[in-house]
Parts: sequence; structure tokens; C-alpha cells
Amino acid sequence: MFSTSSQRKFWTFSDESELASQREKHNLEFISRHGQHLDEHQRYNYFLSPEEERQLLKQYELHLKEFCKRFQPPMPKGVIGTAFHYFKRFYLYNSSMDYHPKEILATCVYLACKVEEFNVSIGQFVANIKGDREKATDIILNNELLLMQQLNYYLTIHNPFRPVEGFLIDIKTRCTLSNPERLRSGIDEFLEKVFLTDACLLYAPSQIALAAVLHAASKEQENLDSYVTDMLFRDAGPDKLAILIEAVRKIRSMVKMVESPARERVRVVEKKLDRCRNQENNPDSEIYKRRMREALDEDDVQYTGTSRMSLDTSGVTQVLSPSAS
Amino acid sequence: MNRDITSYSIVGRIGEGAHGLVFNARHLPTGREVALKKILIKNLEDGIPVNVMREIKALQLLRCKYVIKLYDMFPSGMSLVLVLEYMCSGLWDMLHHKQQELTLPRVKAYAQMLLKGTRYMHAHYVMHRDLKPANLLINHEGVLKIADLGLARLFWPDGGRPYSHQVATRWYRAPELLYGARYYSENVDVWAVGCIIAEMITKKPLFAGESDIEQLAIVVQHLGTPTEETWPGRSDLPDYHKITFPECPPMSWTDILPDVDPEALHFIKSFILYDEKKRISAKEALKHSWFRSKPTAANLEEMPKPNPNAKW
Repeated sequence: MFSTSSQRKFWTFSDESELASQREKHNLEFISRHGQHLDEHQRYNYFLSPEEERQLLKQYELHLKEFCKRFQPPMPKGVIGTAFHYFKRFYLYNSSMDYHPKEILATCVYLACKVEEFNVSIGQFVANIKGDREKATDIILNNELLLMQQLNYYLTIHNPFRPVEGFLIDIKTRCTLSNPERLRSGIDEFLEKVFLTDACLLYAPSQIALAAVLHAASKEQENLDSYVTDMLFRDAGPDKLAILIEAVRKIRSMVKMVESPARERVRVVEKKLDRCRNQENNPDSEIYKRRMREALDEDDVQYTGTSRMSLDTSGVTQVLSPSAS
Repeated sequence: MNRDITSYSIVGRIGEGAHGLVFNARHLPTGREVALKKILIKNLEDGIPVNVMREIKALQLLRCKYVIKLYDMFPSGMSLVLVLEYMCSGLWDMLHHKQQELTLPRVKAYAQMLLKGTRYMHAHYVMHRDLKPANLLINHEGVLKIADLGLARLFWPDGGRPYSHQVATRWYRAPELLYGARYYSENVDVWAVGCIIAEMITKKPLFAGESDIEQLAIVVQHLGTPTEETWPGRSDLPDYHKITFPECPPMSWTDILPDVDPEALHFIKSFILYDEKKRISAKEALKHSWFRSKPTAANLEEMPKPNPNAKW
């Protein structure tokens, strides 16, 4: 249930300014960590500003959408929604200068596939990526644990797709609206855009779903206001209704404002990023390669280290009875 | 204290899981005894296994006295470490090494704990899919908890999505799974619970097949050739027509489990049914008269307290 979920407790924020200040904080932290040798003016020219990071991440959200849409085999909507959540959550607590969005994007989608039980092997997955697939495999698998950690291991995502189904069933049984199925294309279009906004970090999936349904109805020149006021919220009291109306209004306006970032601008930002990104996390850098080798070696040491401990064979209990796998 | 391996002092090795080792450790800041399940990712082709994801998702969702707790998680080198509630013994061990301690009141108490855990999981739309004695652990207080949720997944009450049939350990695997069902329900757990309760009572596995086909043969031999009445819909199962067994009538439960009292037979019988829709739910099972008839379930004080320091 969403109401008792980690999504509501830890990943639903009060307003857009909270999101903005969180992002700005990590932008400034990165700059102060990596820009000690530079003066104010040099920093400004060298690093990305919070605004530039936003532009860049918006562009990558579009890439994320396109990547998922073209994915073979076709990807269920839930995987896409979950991948968007992961991507947004990751960059709420990390600067794109620390972790390049193209790398995190692929990792988010890969993790979402697993969590949503859309089972594709890494080989099938990277077949959807252009360029060096072996390198892509390494990057994704190396980042998977980092991503889980940055999500604080909260993997379960509540998407608006199921509430949409619920509303449609409810509308079919309780409303006079003719052929509610015709709302679907409007709903899908709305939900596709909603993931390009911050709505999923601010509102409950059911509120987003209802905004989508109401938007689709108005596109069909239908009005479902009385369904909301007289049926859904009949017994809820005027305060709750007011909160919902405001939420729906806000979500719809966020969707309306969605626009693609200017290509030329993003190109400049990407060039800037190539220079200012944290080389420790750049898979092409020597420092990164050395760190990965060390991590592998360290793990070997730890692993063999365990043999020093008592090697009692209590594991045999599992061996003696037949197992599922 | 850091949220990493330096906060723990390793006490010993408990066992080996599918993807790595399990250690018994102490969490230094709290003094709490825990089990550390270390999943080595470096050699896994597809990264973190889906089973681990399922276990994490399920354990984060489930907060029940009868389901093992996941306290924390952290990366360590190229491994992921899950910090789990430490359980010093398990039902498998009771069944194999301490049979004399499994008195009927205690069996009833374990059955209740198992059913409460199962009821809770099912109420949260989680099916475990691999219930068996080796996955039912017992802590130092004598409380039984459901563990190893690596095959657990969410189900939708309305069905709709196919699931893998390669789940559940053979002896405890429901007949629809043996016939390759891809659309099944939480009632596969109910079958397994019935098998486990019967095994606790008789100290012998109910249906112990050496292979999947033999498993099915044994079930059919005991429950009889399924009919339209006992199992409607059986012929739609993917592997139903791939194998036929000699026609046979159902055995009576008094012959299957001699020495078991009628009330217990009635109870077991309500789990072990071909038709998954007719199987008793965990919730209903807890109300069964078997729990009210004498001797009644033991209190927690009367349950065996496994020694946390003894190896098992």
C-alpha cells in the first residue's frame, strides 16, 4: 500500500522548493569539494550551475523515455515508471558532475527491469544500447550496487498505472460516462509527460492517476467533476477535497509546462561536463580503472579471509533436502 | 558508527546460501546478534540476482513476528551484505536431530506460528513459493519465523501475469506446479504448509519423491487420479497431457497417515487438495478445531529454546 510505503515516507516531498534546495546543495557540495584551487569566476566557468544540471538531467529524462520506448522486447509501463523514479531519486542526492547521467540512466532502467520482474539478461539489455556493449555491461553492473545504495535500498515503487485501472473500473461501474475506454489515449499521453516533471516526487500515485483521468476526460469534452465531488469524495469532507483539487490542478499545470530543453544549450553543458566531471567515477579514466581493480582485489582478500574461521558444515542442512533452484 | 562491515564483529560462519556465505555476527553499537548474508556479485553475469531483489522487496514490506527481519544492507567490496535477524536453529534441525522434542503441543504451536506468518504474507499479497522445513527458522526464544524469501513475489488477486513454475522444493511442491502451471496463486504455499504440518506430526515427509515425475506419481497414488470433480481445469495445465499415471482410486487418509488422530487428518486433508481453490486459507486454518482439541498448543515458555552457542 502506498499509504504505508517508503515512497510516501521518504521519497515524497512537500514542494518544489524543497527539491530545488536539495539539488542545489549537492551541486554546491561538489563544487566546493573539487574547486578549491579556483576562484569564484573560474568556478562559474568550469562547473555546472544548478540550472545547467537541471537542463542536462531534463535532456537525459527524454533519453530515458526514448530508450525505454524503443526497448526490445517491449517494456511494460511499470518498468519505465520505476526507472524514472530511480533516476529522479538518484539526482536528488547526487550531482550529475559526480555521476554521469548516461551511465546512471542505463543502470536505473536495468534495476527497474529486475525489480518489476521484467526479466531480461544483461546481454539482452545491452543489445538495446548503441556502441561498446561490453563497456556498457561493465558500467551498468558496476553501478548497480551504488544505485541501490543511493536509493537507500528502497526498491518498491508505486506507479500511477494501477490506480488508473482502478479509476476506470470505478467509472465504468458508477458513472454514466459513455465508453470510458476512449479516455485511455489521453491518459497514456498524460502519464508519459508526467514522468518528465517532478510530480512523482511530490504527489501520490493515485493523485497523479486522477489528474490523468480528468485531463483525458476534458480532452474528450467530458466532465468528471461530479464523479470526484459526489462519489470519490462524498464522505471525505471539504478539506480533503480541496487538497485533492489543488494537487490535480498543480499536476496538470506541471504537465502543461513540460518543454524540451534547448539542444544547443545542452550541448554546451555536456561539453562542460566532460571537463568538470569527477574523474574518479569516469569509467574511461585511469583512476577509475585502478579503483575497480582494487575493489576486486580487496574482495578476494576478504573472501579468503573467511576461511580462517571455523569451517563447520552447518550448510549441509540445505544440501540434504532437495532445493528449488 | 558506520553503516558498513566495521560495525560488526563476525562470530562465525552459519552456512552457505545460493549466492554466498552467511555469517553470525554482532552489531557492535547495539550488541545485537545478527546474520550477515554476503552476496558476492563480482562473478554473477547479470549483476545482483533477481532472487536477492525479491527477498529485499518482500522483507521490506513484511513486518511480522513470524517473518524474519531485514535490519539493514550495505555494500562491501563487490558484495552486498544483508543484515538479517539471527536465528540459531530451524525446523529442519528439529525434525532431523531433536524429534523427541517435537511433541504434539509443540507441533501445534509451530503450526500456528507458520500459519500466522503465512496469513500475514498472503494478506500483503506476497507468496513465498518455497516453504519447507529448511526455510523455517527458530530463534533462541523458540519462535518460528519464515525465512529465505528469495522466491517470494507479489501476486495480483485477479491473476493475469504468468509466473515461473520452477519454484518450491519438490517434496513441498503443489501438483499444479508439478504440471507446469504458469498461472497459480498463493495456495501453492498452502499445499506446502499442509505437507510441513503432516511432517511435523509423523516426523516423515508426506510425499518424498526422488524426481519431479516420481513426486507427481506419489501424489496421484495417494490422492487418486484427479477427476473433473476433484480438480477442474487440470487438463489446461501445460504438462498435464505429457504424462499419464495408471488410474487409481484415492487412498483413505487413515491409510495414508495411520496413527494420526481424525481431527488432525481432517486438518491436513484441507490443505492437501488438487483444486487450489478448495484448499483452506491460512486465515481459516488458524480457526480449525484441531487447535482447540486437546492437547492444545504449547505456550512459548514450553517451547524448546535452541542454544544460540551450539552449532546446528
